[in-house]
Amino acid sequence: MSEVLVLQSANACIALITRAVDENEQRLIARALRNTATFRHKLDRTILTKLVVENVSSTFKQTFLNNLKAMDTSEDTTVESVSKKYILSVDYYLGYLILLFQHDSKEISIEFSTYLAQSIPKANKRELDLIAAKVYFYHYRNLELSSNKEFWINARGSLLAAHRTATLRQDYESQAVLINLLLRNYLSTNHYDLADKLVSKTQFPEQAANNQLARYNYYLGRIKAIQLDYTSSNKYLLQAMRKALVTKATSGFQQAVNKVAIIVQLLMGEIPERNVFRQPMLKNSLVPYLKITSAVRVGDLHLFQEALGKFTSEFQRDKTFTLILRLRHNVIKAGIRMLSLSYSRISLRDTCLKLQLDSEEDAEYVVGKAIRDGVVDAVINHEKGYMKSKENVDIYSTNEPQNAFHQRISFCLNLHNESVQAMRFPMNAHKKDLAVLNDLIEEEKKLVNEIANEEDDAEF
Amino acid sequence: MVNLTSAAGLVALLHEDNAEIQIYALQSLLQQVDLFWPEISEAVTKIEELYEDELFKQRQLAALLASKIYYHLGEYDESLSFALGAESLFDISKSSEFVDTIIAKGIDKYISLRRQQMDQSQTSAVVIDKRIEQVVEKMFTRCFNDKEYKQAIGIALESFRLDVVENAINQVKDTTEKIKILKWVLTTVLEIVQNLEFRNKVLRLLANFYHTQTEPDYDSVCQCYIHLNDFAACAELLKSLVEKDEFHKLVAYQLAFDLEENATQEFLSKVLGSLPASQIQAVTSTAADSDAMEVDNNETQPLLSESNKNISPQDSAFNKIRKIISGESALESKNSVYHNAITFANAFMNCGTTSDEFLRQNLEWLSRATHWTKFSATAALGVIHKGQIEKGKDLLSPYLPKDGVSGSAYCEGGALFALGLVNANHGAGVVEYLVKSLKDATDETVQAGACLGLGVAGMATDDDDVYESLKNVLFSDSAVAGESAGLAMGLVMLGTASAKAVDEMIQYAHETQHEKIIRGLAVGISMIMYGREVEADVLIEQLSLDKDPVLRYGGIYTVAMAYSGTGSNKAIRRLLHVAVSDVSDDVRRAAVTAIGFVLFRTPKQVPKVVQLLSESYNPHVRYGAALALGISCAGTGFKDALDLLDPMIKDPVDFVRQGALIAMAMILIQHNEVLTPKVKEVRKLYETVIGDKHGEVMAKFGAVLGQGLIDAGGRNVTVSLNSRNGHNSMPSIVGMALFTQYWYWYPLTHFLSLSFQPTGLIGLNGNLEIPKFTCTSNAKPSLFAYPPPTKVKEVEVVEKVATAVLSTTAKAKSRQKKSDKEKGAVDMDVKKAPKKKEESSETLENLARICPLQAQYVTFDKDARYVPVKKGAVEGIILMNDRTPNEPVELISSSQPANAVEATSATSTVTATPASAGTVSAAGNEPAPPAPFEYTED
Repeated sequence: MSEVLVLQSANACIALITRAVDENEQRLIARALRNTATFRHKLDRTILTKLVVENVSSTFKQTFLNNLKAMDTSEDTTVESVSKKYILSVDYYLGYLILLFQHDSKEISIEFSTYLAQSIPKANKRELDLIAAKVYFYHYRNLELSSNKEFWINARGSLLAAHRTATLRQDYESQAVLINLLLRNYLSTNHYDLADKLVSKTQFPEQAANNQLARYNYYLGRIKAIQLDYTSSNKYLLQAMRKALVTKATSGFQQAVNKVAIIVQLLMGEIPERNVFRQPMLKNSLVPYLKITSAVRVGDLHLFQEALGKFTSEFQRDKTFTLILRLRHNVIKAGIRMLSLSYSRISLRDTCLKLQLDSEEDAEYVVGKAIRDGVVDAVINHEKGYMKSKENVDIYSTNEPQNAFHQRISFCLNLHNESVQAMRFPMNAHKKDLAVLNDLIEEEKKLVNEIANEEDDAEF
Repeated sequence: MVNLTSAAGLVALLHEDNAEIQIYALQSLLQQVDLFWPEISEAVTKIEELYEDELFKQRQLAALLASKIYYHLGEYDESLSFALGAESLFDISKSSEFVDTIIAKGIDKYISLRRQQMDQSQTSAVVIDKRIEQVVEKMFTRCFNDKEYKQAIGIALESFRLDVVENAINQVKDTTEKIKILKWVLTTVLEIVQNLEFRNKVLRLLANFYHTQTEPDYDSVCQCYIHLNDFAACAELLKSLVEKDEFHKLVAYQLAFDLEENATQEFLSKVLGSLPASQIQAVTSTAADSDAMEVDNNETQPLLSESNKNISPQDSAFNKIRKIISGESALESKNSVYHNAITFANAFMNCGTTSDEFLRQNLEWLSRATHWTKFSATAALGVIHKGQIEKGKDLLSPYLPKDGVSGSAYCEGGALFALGLVNANHGAGVVEYLVKSLKDATDETVQAGACLGLGVAGMATDDDDVYESLKNVLFSDSAVAGESAGLAMGLVMLGTASAKAVDEMIQYAHETQHEKIIRGLAVGISMIMYGREVEADVLIEQLSLDKDPVLRYGGIYTVAMAYSGTGSNKAIRRLLHVAVSDVSDDVRRAAVTAIGFVLFRTPKQVPKVVQLLSESYNPHVRYGAALALGISCAGTGFKDALDLLDPMIKDPVDFVRQGALIAMAMILIQHNEVLTPKVKEVRKLYETVIGDKHGEVMAKFGAVLGQGLIDAGGRNVTVSLNSRNGHNSMPSIVGMALFTQYWYWYPLTHFLSLSFQPTGLIGLNGNLEIPKFTCTSNAKPSLFAYPPPTKVKEVEVVEKVATAVLSTTAKAKSRQKKSDKEKGAVDMDVKKAPKKKEESSETLENLARICPLQAQYVTFDKDARYVPVKKGAVEGIILMNDRTPNEPVELISSSQPANAVEATSATSTVTATPASAGTVSAAGNEPAPPAPFEYTED
């Protein structure tokens, strides 16, 4: 994209924002912010300087230009003489563009982002809400990226304060962003307990954008997984995957969610489907997890240990290491299940060998536990030292399939209802049809009139 | 402490037994609460326990902590109550988000509690927490300290704290500032405070404040008195003003004019009564001036429309009507509905112009009128001569009932109604005569006419004698006369909320068999409740639960009348509910129409409110929506409203079309196509609808009426429910409400004339003469020019092609010129109008026509000889202060050639009498009353 095109689309966004402020339509600002994604990577100093000189009011102009390290500051004095109506939203929008540029070109200036994030709530304008949310996000992202870790941890106070302000002003978008940032902050220092309490005490705004909701679900999934509540964790992670867009830009998020989701599924005793690992976007990053999954699937402790040893650093980086350690039991259980499925009767000794357990006694305990947990349906004959599996019940004779179907159907129906609710209908669109109808009526009337006229004439 | 990662340890300290440790924990937690509230909130029950523990020393500390926790949790009510519990620890002078939020919640709570207290004074009294009161009290002092008086007064008004309002005004020391504040309080009180009792208290307070000032804003004082209905004080004010110097005399005159326009007849007559008669002679003749003014005023009123310099181009409209009647158009005069429609159209066009030329020229046509059409036709004379109080009776004498001679009953009835209309709202002179005629009349038609006449003339007089005689007619149980009597009773008791009258009327409505009478009574009852707002609620509730739909209909109109112009949410909610839920079409229609009345002050809202209703499947609801738009957006030319009406013009149901056509005319009144391009289209539409051979009667009626309306009053009046200084105009609202009753009975159409308001500027000097002076209108002249009457299109073409003229167009132009010339004098004016470049302003002379939309552009020269006494007023009758009184005065004597061809043959020359006499007498070349025409009965 050439410079002219970028300028054009940026100006289109500014025009959208101006219109949004005039007509009091938040929707248009949201559109402008969405469109920004198309040219954000093409922004450069000259373009931004040009935009700032043209559109930013004198209150911000100097700060913005300083941050762009703009050379030709002489130009602004000449342009300034033209009296133009400046709009606060446009000012902040350009501030946001500069933040984006700094972020993308790795020239972070924490002073600048702090300045923006602190001045926005003071303006107290509802039309700034959506832009404020973006500014908050990049400000705290800057803090997180900064070399000084203290900044990021100490940001909690300001995050909580900003969240409070956003709640009081019913600024839903900022609320959502700030809650997510808080959770991220807590999780980065492994404060799962604090994060959980925050979640239970705050309400995530329904009006928030889908991508924030996806993020929120991801954090919830992680919290629940640590708290051993795998079912709800899995539910949240699934939601996160569904709500998030599947594009190149979101591949990082997809990978992160899938990593946790795979482990949680394994912990629940399910084996993730093979094609999850085949998706091109995820293929490379999921290799360690594929190894773990196959170890769990066959119930091979040896394989499991090997994979764990090999990829420890990856798991620790992904913060899934503690979860994976919990998987050892699952590997054993999976092994027992495999045995129980393949053999109707197997001696404890063989079990011990197959599972690479230390002794026959150990094997007896492990199998006993598995039976009690309902992993396998079997009995142990202690005298003769073997495990005897019971006959498999025909699942289709139970209500299970019906329940499963019901679940899927209700999910589909919900999805349908939600998408209908999310649709927007332009005002007065039905009037077009009405106009056509009216024309028809008119025509008919004419016809009637003509007939009546003819009849009149005929009388004479 | 800074790097604390969890407050769990501190929370654990709370559970210790040692009070000192607990206090330490509370103190530390208070510092950390903003950072760790999700954690601390787990222990909120323990903290509450500490607060409730009477023995615990630092209970307030616990309360403050609990308050902050609940604040973070979003439970503001709880937070408020704990913050109050924290007493001195909760420091409202600190400015933080927490404190601000809690104070805001506290004030909200206080206001709602005070409201409950005011509402249900009889049932269980609401007790207000002393501590909330303290917080609000502290806020007031803070406001006073910061000199934010408006804020304090605003809160005080909402929470019904008269003492604080008084205190706040007292605190203002600067006089100019004080005047501003008083003015602001006055408008706020009138617009926002819904509780009548409290409003009156505040008004009384304001009046007292004005009293203490040496040079108060007399206009505001007078308004206070009108709203308080305090005639004695008002008379006192006038008297004291007159006794001061010349300038104050002018002010007194101005007030007298305003009074005449805004106050009820009852109020006026009482003011007149209180002005001491003996003093008139004793203390110079000045008092007499103001006294006489109020009577003479009535004469000056018609001047507005009469003596306007650019006498309207209404000729062509007549021509059109004449054509219609002479049969060129498709309307056949035999059909009585058309006959009615034309009569009304004519009447409206000429309202107040005293131009009865049309009637005189079409005597033959009139004589074809039969029955009720005749009634309407005769009554139309009243509309035409509206405001001609002195001459009214003479003009109508040929038609009025005479002793011994029995004429046509319809004619006599119509004449009595006409007499009422002539004297609308100024009935002192004719009420007696009308009462007598009513008593003498035996025929129910004559009775009906007399009742209506009495009602209009005696509007809001609260006159018991008149009421009794109307009641007698009612009890005769004759359908026609009874209906009129019901309406008239309501009109006479207008706005009094008289319980006795309401009871009697409801009782009789239940007894009688005649639906007509019930309807008359129902609408009459609504009139009684005019402007009473909350006081009417009980009655509204009673009526809207009645099983008789006609009484429910009355209930809806009661809402419309009682809440007119208030924009009350409660009223709108009720109306919208009825509009979609009632089983009777009539009631639903009335409910939608009533929305127009309630919201007429905020016309921009109405299209949004009725948008869905205007697409209802029910034609009655659609019709109601059309009228609501017309009523509320009258004279605004508001585009959204027109867009909604547009599809309704093509509605399959005839009466919806009728409503839409009428509403369009109301909205577009006094607009020309420069200001609102739509006008051209609409005018054309009227012609096509009227000319349509097979069109339905109802729609045609609407079109003819619309055509009359759009040119109403010789295009010198507008339809407005607001009076000039922005308050509800009682006659207008009532007139409009009765006009909507034309659905049942066409003669009621005439009531619309009450809503017409002359738009113009009349400047008077101290002798009540009309001096010559000018003012400037800073807008393009064409924006507010008279709409050209005919051939609009051709004129525009000329304007456009002026730059590049092709030979063909040139030919066409010359041809056009020729044809234009033939069209006569009126078109000549129009042709002069289009210039190549328009000036951005024009100079208006005294007696100019000023449209309501134009008013904002009109300014007076600052250093001109004449300056208006009342600031900011550019419309209506304005008294001008002569700064060089010794120079000779140049007067305008409005005299036009009494040429019969000119539409405006009617002139009244004002012969200014010397100042000492101080009266204005209308002695001029009045047109001879039309030759009495005989009705030939067929």
